[in-house]
Amino acid sequence: MTVFAKRSSRSEEDPELNMIPIMNIFLVIIPFLLTSVSFFHIKAISTSVPVLADSSPSMQKQPEIKITVIVEMQPEAMRLSAIADELSAEVLAGYEQRIKLEAAGVYPVRELTEYLQSLKRIYPASDTIILIPDNTVIYESIIQAMDAARNFNESPLFPNVVLSGSLG
Amino acid sequence: MALGNMKHHSQKFAPPKLMITSMMDMFTIILIFLLFQFSEKPETIHLMERIDLPMSSAKMEHTENIKLILTQNGLHIGEDLIAQVNKGTIIGLDLQNPKASVLYQRLEQQFAKSAVESADAQPKNHILLLCDKRHSFKTINSIVKTAALAGYPNFQFGVLKE
Repeated sequence: MTVFAKRSSRSEEDPELNMIPIMNIFLVIIPFLLTSVSFFHIKAISTSVPVLADSSPSMQKQPEIKITVIVEMQPEAMRLSAIADELSAEVLAGYEQRIKLEAAGVYPVRELTEYLQSLKRIYPASDTIILIPDNTVIYESIIQAMDAARNFNESPLFPNVVLSGSLG
Repeated sequence: MALGNMKHHSQKFAPPKLMITSMMDMFTIILIFLLFQFSEKPETIHLMERIDLPMSSAKMEHTENIKLILTQNGLHIGEDLIAQVNKGTIIGLDLQNPKASVLYQRLEQQFAKSAVESADAQPKNHILLLCDKRHSFKTINSIVKTAALAGYPNFQFGVLKE
């Protein structure tokens, strides 16, 4: 009887896990991860500047009309317009808009997205936008306008953003 | 009597056990945190001053490019300071004569070098611009125009993931 009691008490003892190999693995993995860690993730927005090209106009017929949207970021307002070889001046004049700033330095990016969405519905092949900021516009506002132009709810709007200085 | 006490103590003494559970918890939390922050190519920028990049919804990864860094007080190529910036004006960069600037000369050298290195392949003609969000377009435009003149019309604007 006493022998049985002794055996049962032995089996109730908690088995001890050997943690040393696990600790060793942790001590190897953690320094490795510390060297590869990045506390800020840099992403990129592709853009280009207009360059002179010596190519002649393409004679191929475009199956779909492609328009190019021009966004002028002025100090008091955002001026929107569109250009396309296939469309008449009257039609293009209908796409001109001037949206006032919400506050000083705060550009109406929501209205810009709505405008671009409406154009994208009519001309789905269009993908280029020319952004012309005023000299005083800060970089952060330009990036916000680029974000608004590129996509809306994961669907692309005008992903090709060309940055240009004002001609005037 | 004293000896009897000592014997009693030595029988009771057990080596102290290390409480490893809390340490394991801590290691596990650190490990998970580091795994989330893991990057295949961690970005290292050694600057003497702070740079505030704008936030963006962009998801594109930047490619291997020439890195231009514009802080509030200086313009850098990689880690080399090439020009001072004073109130948004890049010292030594005149848009009437951009070819005289250090920026143009350095980029032109780089363009020639990469054209030789990748004679059969497409040379790298992208610039990754890391620019402080408070700079005006006037400052950025002067860099962009000069770089385009030196053979780099395509840019990638470095932004922070939202």
